[in-house]
Amino acid sequence: MTVLSLNFETVFLCTPQAVRTDSVFQSGLCGAVLYLSFQATANMQASRARLFKEYKEVQREKVADPDIQLVCDDSNIFKWTALIKGPSETPFEGGVFQLAFAVPEQYPLQPPQVRFLTKIFHPNVHFKTGEICLDILKNAWSPAWTLQSVCRAIIALMAHPEPDSPLNCDSGNLLRSGDLRGYYSMARMYTKLAAMPKKG
Amino acid sequence: MDSEDDMHDANDVESMDDDEGFYSDEMGMDYYGSDDDVDVDFGEDNEGIKRIEASRAENNFIILKESDIKQRQEEDITSVSTVLSISRAASSILLRYYNWSVSEVHEAWFADEDKVRKTFGLLKKPVIQLTSSRELTCGICFEAFHRSSIRSAACGHPFCCACWEGYIRTSIGDGPGCLILRCPDPSCGAAVGQDMITMLVSDEDNRKYSRYLLRSYIENNKKTKWCPAPGCEYAVNFVGDDENYDVSCLCSYGFCWNCTEEAHRPVDCSTVSKWIMKNSAESENMNWILANSKPCPKCKRPIEKNQGCMHMTCTPPCKFEFCWLCLGAWSDHGERTGGFYACNRYEAAKQEGVYDETERRREMAKNSLERYTHYYERWASNQLSRQKALADLHQMRTVHMEKLSDIQREPESQLKFITDAWQQIVECRRVLKWTYAYGYYLPEHEHAKRQFFEYLQGEAESGLERLHQCAEKELQQFLSADGPSKEFIDFHTKLAGLTGVTKNYFENLVSALENGLSDVDSQATCSGSSSKNGGSSKAKGGKGKGTSRAGGSSKNVDSTGMWTCEYCTYANSKHSTTCHMCHHQRR
Repeated sequence: MTVLSLNFETVFLCTPQAVRTDSVFQSGLCGAVLYLSFQATANMQASRARLFKEYKEVQREKVADPDIQLVCDDSNIFKWTALIKGPSETPFEGGVFQLAFAVPEQYPLQPPQVRFLTKIFHPNVHFKTGEICLDILKNAWSPAWTLQSVCRAIIALMAHPEPDSPLNCDSGNLLRSGDLRGYYSMARMYTKLAAMPKKG
Repeated sequence: MDSEDDMHDANDVESMDDDEGFYSDEMGMDYYGSDDDVDVDFGEDNEGIKRIEASRAENNFIILKESDIKQRQEEDITSVSTVLSISRAASSILLRYYNWSVSEVHEAWFADEDKVRKTFGLLKKPVIQLTSSRELTCGICFEAFHRSSIRSAACGHPFCCACWEGYIRTSIGDGPGCLILRCPDPSCGAAVGQDMITMLVSDEDNRKYSRYLLRSYIENNKKTKWCPAPGCEYAVNFVGDDENYDVSCLCSYGFCWNCTEEAHRPVDCSTVSKWIMKNSAESENMNWILANSKPCPKCKRPIEKNQGCMHMTCTPPCKFEFCWLCLGAWSDHGERTGGFYACNRYEAAKQEGVYDETERRREMAKNSLERYTHYYERWASNQLSRQKALADLHQMRTVHMEKLSDIQREPESQLKFITDAWQQIVECRRVLKWTYAYGYYLPEHEHAKRQFFEYLQGEAESGLERLHQCAEKELQQFLSADGPSKEFIDFHTKLAGLTGVTKNYFENLVSALENGLSDVDSQATCSGSSSKNGGSSKAKGGKGKGTSRAGGSSKNVDSTGMWTCEYCTYANSKHSTTCHMCHHQRR
């Protein structure tokens, strides 16, 4: 598994030619690459370039934004995970939530797919799959958004849920019926169960 | 309704003209009327750019070709752009938002220009000041580019050409939403107009964008619609505002402006939509009944109906002549037998008898299906016949007319009576078809109206059958003849006569249905209740609860039009008659 510690610069710079001939190298890196046509390869180069920029930016900003920790998968620049801190004065305060990013080849023209890996009780997050209902991840996406700004938007969503378009109906109904206490205690319980380090 | 009543009560020249127009709908393409609109400055009326007025006396609508649409759109854009002193791209964006109404754009703009500019992203000056350096960073790929390869909308946010191209291409690929494209920067709402798009994307994407723009001009405008016929590229601009919604496109498709279903005069839109709903719901069950073949009533061999008229003749040696609809002998259908064409009658009474309770219920269920089948079958048969007749008319125009002209040594203009007959057949089949939907919904207890309706329908139908038979079968012998024959003159007289007679029958039928069979009310007052909304009518059974809505249910209705359920207090929309939550009836 030595290949995994590759420098991204090399990956980005490899020409379409190299991608196709050196398939062993490539399959170790990203299985999907093998099925791509010329057109898609060109697309992918653009998204790789952009992701690489973001990667460098993240390295630099790590200290700047203590609430977000974005990590790129060692072997695949199209897979990212993020750890975000639950915003203060919300039931998620003190919790650390893990997000999984699946970046499409058309990125940044198409939005990344993001879901919660950590269980969370929130009206706009599917309780089982962790899928997130957020306009900027669907039709309001703009290529000027970055993975970092998506994380910020998700933190904002945690603080300001939209109970009128719920993925988690139970949670949405609690808020819609005005049962803030019920909502708070449920969300708090799941934060404590799933998003906080176990005190041994 | 006033205009329609006038039309048929008065016997003056105008009403005759109107009927003429109605019955020659299919010939729309033969009439390129002169333009008598006031504000026309198209220059010469060339072949290419020609606005075609409908042949109808009322000029309720104008058919627009693609070139006409483009021209109108260009004119509107130019007008807005000159008056407001803004670019054509900006005018186009504003018009798009205001549904292509020039006056609404003017109104909004002069009421509050700043607000309009802000809402639709038409900025006056850039919102960001770029550094004076030669290199700029693209906001999408984050690469540095020389100033010359960076483009911005009015806001000034810098993006490189490649990223712009990808952004616009994706948006165009997603559909007509590209017409209201904004700057990629999430916080910025600056509009991206056609000028930028033309500059930045491929020819193919530009074509797609123009296509969406053109479509929007028709689709977002309340007074224009695309012709719903498959493959037809014309649009219709409706200028009338009376109740006559029949529109016929240049492609010869006739449709109703109001509901965009196929033209259905004299039946109203709500009956038609009810009927179409019913058909789609029950057509699955109907399919097996209406499979394309029926056994010959005499020799039981399966027969496929491949011609238009209902008079069937089994192949030799059987040669049994029968009616396709009722499978009775054709000899019972003529006037010789003293009766009239009775196939449109549904003998509801024929099932009467002494049954026990379950038997009776089963029988009733069967009857209601049978009753529907009866009407549907006739509706569908006429539909098929009409399609066949349309094909025959086309065949006649393209092939047979010339051939017949050669054989009979007559100029084609002398043979116009044949195509006239076919056009009459096509139109009559359409009217007849819809009268069956009308008949299905005609309340059963209004005996006098029913009888009158069935009488008129029967007269019209038998006339049409004679005409169809004459045009279809009797013509054959002249097509296969070697030279001119004397009988052809007789044929001419007969066919032209039948065409006229049939036309009269259908005019009677149409006008009677359009005034709601009111002749009956004045004569047969003895029949008692003639209220149209009789609750016992089976016809409305399918909708059921719908009728109770009109009752005095003003209480429990709040100002927004919602009503609160008495049982569970759920706020229901005003259109529902049962509670969405607990399914209790609205009180």
